[in-house]
Amino acid sequence: MSVFEIAKGMGVTLGHLFKKPVTVTYPEQPVDVKPRFRGRHHLLRHPDTNLEKCIGCSLCAAACPAYAIYVEAAENDPNNPTSAGERYASIYEINMLRCIFCGFCEEACPTGAIVLGHEFELADFKYQDFVYGKPDMLVGTKGSKWQRREAEKKGKDVKIGLKSGPRPELEGVDY
Amino acid sequence: MKVKVNDVELDLAPGTSAIDAVFAAGYDVPYFCSQEYMSPIGACRMCLAVVGAPRKERDGSWTMDEATGQPKIFYFPNPMATCTTAIMEGMVIDTLSDVTKKAQGGMMEMHLINHPLDCPTCDKGGACELQDRAYEYGSGHSRFIFDKRHNEKHHALSELITLDRERCIHCKRCVRYFEEVPGDEVLDFIERGGHTFIGTVEEGLPSNFSGNITDICPVGALLDTTSRFRGRNWEYDHTRSTSLDDASGSAITIDARTGRIERIKAALNTQVNKNWIDDGTRFGHEYAASSDRIKTPMLRKNGKLEPVTWEEATLFISEKLKKLSDNQLGIALRSDATLEEGVAAKSLAEYLKTGQIDHYPRYASSVISANPASFNDLATAGAIFVMADATEEVPMVDLRIKDALKGVTPPTLMAHGVPIADLRLKERMPRKTNILSVAAPYRVDLMKYAAHSMVYPTGTEVEVLKQIIDASTDAGKALKESLSAAEKAVIVLGAFVLNSAEASKLADDLAKATGAKVMKLGAMANSFGLESQDVLPAKADYSYPNMLSGSAKALIVSGLNPAQNAEVAQALLKLELLVVHDLFENETTALAHVVLPAKSGYEKEGTVVNLEGRYLNVNPAPVDGGQAVDFTGFVKELGDALNERLEGRSVRSARRLLKKSLELDLSELPLEGTIASAKAGKVAGLKTNTSGNALLVPSMVRSEYLNRNAHLFASTGGNALRLHPADAASHNLSAHDVISVSVGGFKRRLSVQPSESVPEGMMLLPALPDQPVGLVQLDLNSIKKEQVALEVA
Repeated sequence: MSVFEIAKGMGVTLGHLFKKPVTVTYPEQPVDVKPRFRGRHHLLRHPDTNLEKCIGCSLCAAACPAYAIYVEAAENDPNNPTSAGERYASIYEINMLRCIFCGFCEEACPTGAIVLGHEFELADFKYQDFVYGKPDMLVGTKGSKWQRREAEKKGKDVKIGLKSGPRPELEGVDY
Repeated sequence: MKVKVNDVELDLAPGTSAIDAVFAAGYDVPYFCSQEYMSPIGACRMCLAVVGAPRKERDGSWTMDEATGQPKIFYFPNPMATCTTAIMEGMVIDTLSDVTKKAQGGMMEMHLINHPLDCPTCDKGGACELQDRAYEYGSGHSRFIFDKRHNEKHHALSELITLDRERCIHCKRCVRYFEEVPGDEVLDFIERGGHTFIGTVEEGLPSNFSGNITDICPVGALLDTTSRFRGRNWEYDHTRSTSLDDASGSAITIDARTGRIERIKAALNTQVNKNWIDDGTRFGHEYAASSDRIKTPMLRKNGKLEPVTWEEATLFISEKLKKLSDNQLGIALRSDATLEEGVAAKSLAEYLKTGQIDHYPRYASSVISANPASFNDLATAGAIFVMADATEEVPMVDLRIKDALKGVTPPTLMAHGVPIADLRLKERMPRKTNILSVAAPYRVDLMKYAAHSMVYPTGTEVEVLKQIIDASTDAGKALKESLSAAEKAVIVLGAFVLNSAEASKLADDLAKATGAKVMKLGAMANSFGLESQDVLPAKADYSYPNMLSGSAKALIVSGLNPAQNAEVAQALLKLELLVVHDLFENETTALAHVVLPAKSGYEKEGTVVNLEGRYLNVNPAPVDGGQAVDFTGFVKELGDALNERLEGRSVRSARRLLKKSLELDLSELPLEGTIASAKAGKVAGLKTNTSGNALLVPSMVRSEYLNRNAHLFASTGGNALRLHPADAASHNLSAHDVISVSVGGFKRRLSVQPSESVPEGMMLLPALPDQPVGLVQLDLNSIKKEQVALEVA
């Protein structure tokens, strides 16, 4: 090893001093999330009819390797349907502590109703608060349960610490 | 007959179908239209295979292939539907060739052209024959680019069955089922070609066995409405058990999910119910999932029932029991209690030194016949005399009688089980109706299928039987002769005969005189078993009705609700201790000192003995019953409070006792059960009414649970009061009126159904466990028309 080698190494270090830093001062600054990042799930709606895409078929629950999903279905009221078709999910729950964010549910879904989004700030205090139901995941709901609770308490908008590029599967989701 | 399937050589009985030869050889062909126990018709054309056979010359020698020196195989010019092809000597069946595969793949594509492929929303998904076969034999992609056929998606064929006409692939199983199995032609194909759909001209499906079409539908076209969208097939826990709804011991599969029963399906028991169950059994499960079930023990404190622990409840009971002297405690079980529960109750009675133990409802005479007929005896009988409303008492008897009318013996099982295509069965077979004679006090369903039927005045069973035995009338003489002449004759006796010791004895005499076997229809699922295990009072004065009217100072009742009777309710108030072990709060729990949560028939583990004397296992489905226990569990808890290890404290302990007495290990029974001989018990102490203006009749649907079975309730309109239209007019009642009325002291809520089939001057209403079959006085002055429409509880 020579002095030259040390100087070369130090050169790299010095060079970085003058480059734009990679570090983000999260949570003050939002994190840039890659489009295919797998975070909290979204249950989507058909944008034209506003009907839920989920038909309660339970295939996501069948595909889930962590047994994190529980679905109970019911028949649509033909006059006031919840989803397109005969059947909708009357209960749809994901246990976020069990979920390993593998995305199998998304692959199994025949209607593209469940898509893993970009939200990742899911920390909370009680076990039961990690069981996300339909209102927590339907498109239009922003933030984790805790974030929404906090926002409500403070009377402010939900603030999520991410910014991300568009992903076509996340139809109607706005970060 | 020697047959070669691909590379396997088989020796099969003549008359076997080619599809069974293929399955017997361990190979597979797809099929949708063939169905065990039904005629093969070759409608779906899926089971195509290349089939050939050698030919014979005029002199009887085989036509030889000169090149090989072997008999020459002449192939059919096109692939054959193997389900309608009978095997021939030397037949060659090829299911693996490219021609076969192309034919099967092509048919698969044809079937899928008009199939909506909405598997994710379809209740059949995951257990669908079309789905499985498309996966195995389909090409995996569709060349059909046009719009598919559109039709009605959820047509309510009846309150119990939903039809999706888009999904139907026209296999004709359901249409054939109705004509061939129960013999009710209620469904048929309407229109032709691609427009064909199944439908009915009548409202609903007027059949007692309509639910079976949901089991045999190879696609999701016919679905059980009670389980519609409740869960997917892979999510259910399937438990094979035995139905406790009637005395047939029909095999069922209980499908439960997250602690709730979602549906009941028929299971195969070739000796008992074959593939079929009745609608009462199939759709009558909703009560078990009712939200108002008793889930914890309750103790009356300051006049109010309060939830307590089992320890507190049993401690209270044990303190009270210690104050009683011998023979002061009464123990009564409902007759669908398991054998193990019966043994537990008996051991408890012995420990507490009481002879007052009984099961109820039961009849004045024994349900154990000296020469019992099995279901297969019934199905192969040459003459059948039914003196019962068999369809309502034990519906399976009705169905197996219809087997006998077809005159086709039950098929011999093959290596792969029941033959898939039994070529002896045909569509619209002639029925030998003249072998069936039916007698009942009102027009029963089975009379439609009988050449000889007789409606006798209620309560004259003794006279009717005397006429037959003495051959004093032409009809009686002809019946006696046909029963004597037939190689195998079966007499079926129901509640109307068994309720009278005299009539029952006469019927036994008739059986002896004619050499007929006797099938006695027990009142409930385990009437036979509880009688054979002697769960009976030590003396006539200790019978259950006597317990209620003062012979007992303390009472433990399981599954019974005696306080429905206002008089009995008054008597029960005087009891020092009233313990009720039941599913729901009712009139009796309102009086009880202690209320204990019971298990429904779907949650119990145990054994029942059906009307043949067949021991069948009841297996527990995973259902959330809270702290519910069966009677063995109660004996254990009570034993703990008494510091005693009582016999029968668990199913295992009860089975140890039974193993000694029966020489039968009930934990290792075969799926189809074991018939063991049994002796009639000393039944006594029951008085039956000989007069009254109304007749309590057996009912296929359990009337005590009907208001908790929402779908059955909607389909039947509730417990019915059937009476002649002339009587209805004179009592100022019209159809669908909902009335409350006092019937023999019981307040009953009934919907009026005028019917020509009821004799004038008689009213028919369904019996209850506490108000069993028989004559009763209906207080016409107490009829109150309820203004509000009856709502489902």
